[in-house]
Amino acid sequence: MSAMRVDTKVVMLGKESVGKTSLVERYVHHRFLVGPYQNTIGAAFVAKPIHVGEKVVTLGIWDTAGSERYEAMSRIYYRGARAAVVCYDLTDSSSFQRARFWVKELQNCEEHCKIYLCGTKNDLVQADKSVRQIDFHDTQDFAEEIGAQHFETSSKTGNNVDELFQKVAEDFNDSVFQLIPPGEAGVDLGQKKDSYFYSCCHNN
Amino acid sequence: MSQRTERRGIHVDQSELLCKKGCGYYGNAAWQGLCSKCWREEYQRARQKQIQEDWALAEKLQREEEGASLAPFSKFEEKKTNEKMRKVTTVKKFFSSSTRHGPQKSCSVVTFVFPSIACTLRSLCILISMQHTRALPPSLPPMWSAGLVEREDRTLRDWRGIFSPSWEMGSPTEDSQEGKSPSPSISRQASMETDRASKEFLEFLKSMHRPGREIHKQCRAFIDGMANKKDLGAEELSECVQDFYQNLSDRLMSHFKGSSESVERVMDQVEKYIMTRLYKSVFCPETTDDEKKDLATQHRIRALHWVTIEMLCVAMDEEIPEVSDNVVKAITDVIEMDSKRVPQDKLACITQCSKHIFTAIKITRDEPASADDFLPALIYIVLKANPPRLQSNIQYITRFCNPSRIMTGEDGYYFTNLCCAVAFIEKLDAQSLNLSTEEFERYMSGQSSPRRPLGDGWAPEDGSAPQGAAAAPMNPVLAQLHRNLEPLSGLSVRQDRLMERARGLQEELVSWEEGVRREVQDILERYPLEIRPPPPSAIDTENAESDRLPPPLTPQVFAG
Repeated sequence: MSAMRVDTKVVMLGKESVGKTSLVERYVHHRFLVGPYQNTIGAAFVAKPIHVGEKVVTLGIWDTAGSERYEAMSRIYYRGARAAVVCYDLTDSSSFQRARFWVKELQNCEEHCKIYLCGTKNDLVQADKSVRQIDFHDTQDFAEEIGAQHFETSSKTGNNVDELFQKVAEDFNDSVFQLIPPGEAGVDLGQKKDSYFYSCCHNN
Repeated sequence: MSQRTERRGIHVDQSELLCKKGCGYYGNAAWQGLCSKCWREEYQRARQKQIQEDWALAEKLQREEEGASLAPFSKFEEKKTNEKMRKVTTVKKFFSSSTRHGPQKSCSVVTFVFPSIACTLRSLCILISMQHTRALPPSLPPMWSAGLVEREDRTLRDWRGIFSPSWEMGSPTEDSQEGKSPSPSISRQASMETDRASKEFLEFLKSMHRPGREIHKQCRAFIDGMANKKDLGAEELSECVQDFYQNLSDRLMSHFKGSSESVERVMDQVEKYIMTRLYKSVFCPETTDDEKKDLATQHRIRALHWVTIEMLCVAMDEEIPEVSDNVVKAITDVIEMDSKRVPQDKLACITQCSKHIFTAIKITRDEPASADDFLPALIYIVLKANPPRLQSNIQYITRFCNPSRIMTGEDGYYFTNLCCAVAFIEKLDAQSLNLSTEEFERYMSGQSSPRRPLGDGWAPEDGSAPQGAAAAPMNPVLAQLHRNLEPLSGLSVRQDRLMERARGLQEELVSWEEGVRREVQDILERYPLEIRPPPPSAIDTENAESDRLPPPLTPQVFAG
């Protein structure tokens, strides 16, 4: 059993095959070749310590099943998450529609959750501009409208991947300093149970 | 045809699942086919009966004792003295008697030993019955009880040494103390687990000196306080426990300046201790409809028995032995969750189960599994396992686990996935399995089974079933059955061999006995026993020097 303490929960949302898992894989294995996460057989949950200034923030990165089949259950996944990375495929406009759906869900249900829009497979777009289906500036506008951060990444080249998660960690660190006095930072006992604790799977 | 196929799978009749009392709820094999409510009633009644029987036995034994030995137990000590005296006389007899009486001696010692064993056994029997009633029968004469108690201590000590574990288990002390006793097996386990948890907790706190004492005091006070709050709803109970966690960890932080790691470690132990203690009163409390939900889920999973691994798009190939091995382990783990008392232990079971699933997927696909692979696999495992009291367990973990655990960590991730799996199973419809509505309805109503669609090379049942079983993708249960049959048949062969040799031995013994008898007979015939007439027993015949003695006195007659 992993005894690693996790500071916050980051959910990965996005349509099937947009590359959520690859993104996490790229990020985790690129930076740290040795560490406790190496023991995880699956890539579904990863605990990743990140240096933010002098502090270390451990992100618990939750991969989620993107299939539409499980759409009704996604609410259970992002419950209590402080950050959500909503992924879409830069070469697939339908995936962006799905991303919009999750953004709406998050705005409705998790107001404390920060949203990070993440276009994936940027390497394909770099190689051939014609395959791009999602305009960078449109997305930028959308991101500003919903108060989200926007990244375009490539898991293949590692482009922008570290930046994305670094930003997630930094934002979390800042929010902790705002919300809770420093002495208690990082202890999740600080977040007292909310109503969602009681509505596990019978209530949605 | 369709009717025939329907019967192929393991078919359980609806009526067999219901409570035997006919109350309409579902029964459980662990409760002898009764539902939990009926079982509770039944168990109480049986217990009452047991107590009465024990009393009757105790009284009967008392009467027997009075009738048989003339001396009632009030003269117990006296009787013991008698025994001692008898022993002394036996020993005296032994020393005084000639060697020819050897065998008799051991006999008498045995007879001496025997009543004392019998006596011990009898009093032990009474003791057992009294342990049951937890009180001395008031009808017993006071002296008896006193003597008995004294003896009880001694005997108990002796017998405890021998039967320690089973005795502990058999002692229903916990029952009478905690009042509420849902089932014998649980209460048995409970007393041991509670003791162990307390011991471990104390052991842990010892290393902390002053804060340790403080923590222990607070926990005790909290548990005592909770005893008075049994009537509260589940949510309020949860609130109490969570507040306690919160306050205690805050206090540890600020008061004892613990690092967050050490506080977390302490809180883990606190949770273990408190929840082991409170488990009985807060798990699936009667104030909630958890039990109803358990039954609904169980029913639902049973109704979905036809869902195949392909429909769920699970990336596990159960044909690979290693994979099916891990599948079985995962199923065992998720079922085992119900047997744990502490939320974090339950979570550990879920995590263990998930790890096995990941291994299974990894073996099948040769790459680390993502959530897209994992969730369907977990759903499949839950469908196969149909874990007992699933909803109750989930609710219990949600209510009483340290929130940081379920919210962020790895355990939390797998727990969330389990919740998702359950939610999926509850909502599952034709669309989520990529089936047409008609197909789904047909499967649900049991009119047909997707495992053996018509004309799929599955010959009708008449005669060719074994071939089909060998060739077609077998139900893993059947495969397991076949696999189990092999060692079983091996066992039966070995048993046959054993029987044969035992019979041989028996014959040998018989012939040996006969041989010995014949030999003895031979010897007896060769040297027949002749009884010589006893030598004329004259006084002084054996005295060699009798001639040296002066002549015997002869009576002389004196005149006058």
